[in-house]
Amino acid sequence: MDQHPSYAILSPFISKYPRAAGSSFQAYNDLLYAQQWRDLEVIDLPKCSRCGFRGRKPDTNAILSVVPCSLSESLSLSWIHAAFEEFGGPQEVYIAITVEDSSIVYYKISQGIVKPPL
Amino acid sequence: MTDSNERIQLRVSNNKAYVWDVDDIATLRSKHHICGVLTGTLPHLSQQNVFLGIPLLLLPEEVVLLVENEAAVLVDDPSAHHTPTPAALETWNTERKKAMQEQIALVGAKEAKEAGRGMTEAAIRKRREREEKRAKAKEASSVAEGIIPQDTVPAPEPPAASTPDRPSTPSSSSYTYPLPIPSATLYPWYDPSANTYTTVPSAQRAGIWTYPSTLLERARCAVFRDLHDKGYFMGVGIKFGGDFLVYPGDPLRYHSHFVATVIESPVSTLMPMEIVAHGRLGTATKKAHLLCGWDEEKKEVSHLSIEWAGFG
Repeated sequence: MDQHPSYAILSPFISKYPRAAGSSFQAYNDLLYAQQWRDLEVIDLPKCSRCGFRGRKPDTNAILSVVPCSLSESLSLSWIHAAFEEFGGPQEVYIAITVEDSSIVYYKISQGIVKPPL
Repeated sequence: MTDSNERIQLRVSNNKAYVWDVDDIATLRSKHHICGVLTGTLPHLSQQNVFLGIPLLLLPEEVVLLVENEAAVLVDDPSAHHTPTPAALETWNTERKKAMQEQIALVGAKEAKEAGRGMTEAAIRKRREREEKRAKAKEASSVAEGIIPQDTVPAPEPPAASTPDRPSTPSSSSYTYPLPIPSATLYPWYDPSANTYTTVPSAQRAGIWTYPSTLLERARCAVFRDLHDKGYFMGVGIKFGGDFLVYPGDPLRYHSHFVATVIESPVSTLMPMEIVAHGRLGTATKKAHLLCGWDEEKKEVSHLSIEWAGFG
């Protein structure tokens, strides 16, 4: 893992939050290489005991916030609210759920009652 | 709505609250935005579930909201029926028999009309001859026994009276006639005044109602109230894997926009798999999934909406 180009960027958080290392590494690489996000930056989320990411989808301008987690973790509402807080209170946060077989799925979580798109 | 007599009576039996009056059901829906579920079916067609009628069964969260809003009272229905006085029982029995006779007369009239339509002229003539013959025989025997003086002419038998040639089975053609079903409130021995509870705690102390008694139940009531106060209508959420379906208006006019799951506390476990399952089903059914959290310390409800992100 330490030979990977992403390792240099993520290493401070991997040693700080070893339990979230796998999902952070997987989500970062997926956003950067598979989803081809631009201006990807790594944000420390101490209340969530991991790092998160901010960036733009290709051909869009909105800055989106992503918090990674593993499918086998136990989360809580207060954990999700903490993620919103750490990102500075955006309207929505994307949660990247990772599995050991390298699958990853993203869900959009919005604050309050938000109608689905038509 | 301070007068408890004007509040809708929710009749409680076995910890479930029912509404038996159609006007009350209409008021609940139009004025209080409470829908409940119609559960009444036909004794002979108990399997059918397409056209259900009274009673309306309310969700426990609906009951708590209505009582707390002073829109309804809880009535311990089994205890509201007291032992009737002999006079009251006599009156009831007389009326019951009268109603029965009215029904028999209605059926009889209808059947006589149908039977008459089907008979040929010859059959009618034969029948009349038979009736005359029998009348004569009866007269003769009466005279012989000395009951009726010979000069009295016996009145012809009324046509509604039972005759041997009348078919013994009811005609197969269907017909409708109104059946008056007396409401329980009309019985003189029905007096719910001593068994009516205007608050949830008083009904709980009386032992007729338990909801809400756990943290999850209190959370469900708080979430229901919060969504109701925001103007939404709620229905049962089981068809979409949630606790409530949330409609922007009356469910007869709108599709639901949300499926809500109640989370009893900010620290209760939430597995990522739940987010995936709820989020994916909601997106596939054009609904957003709501995670509705309850914080009992702060007495606050918070909502999060989940959707598939659209990538990954």
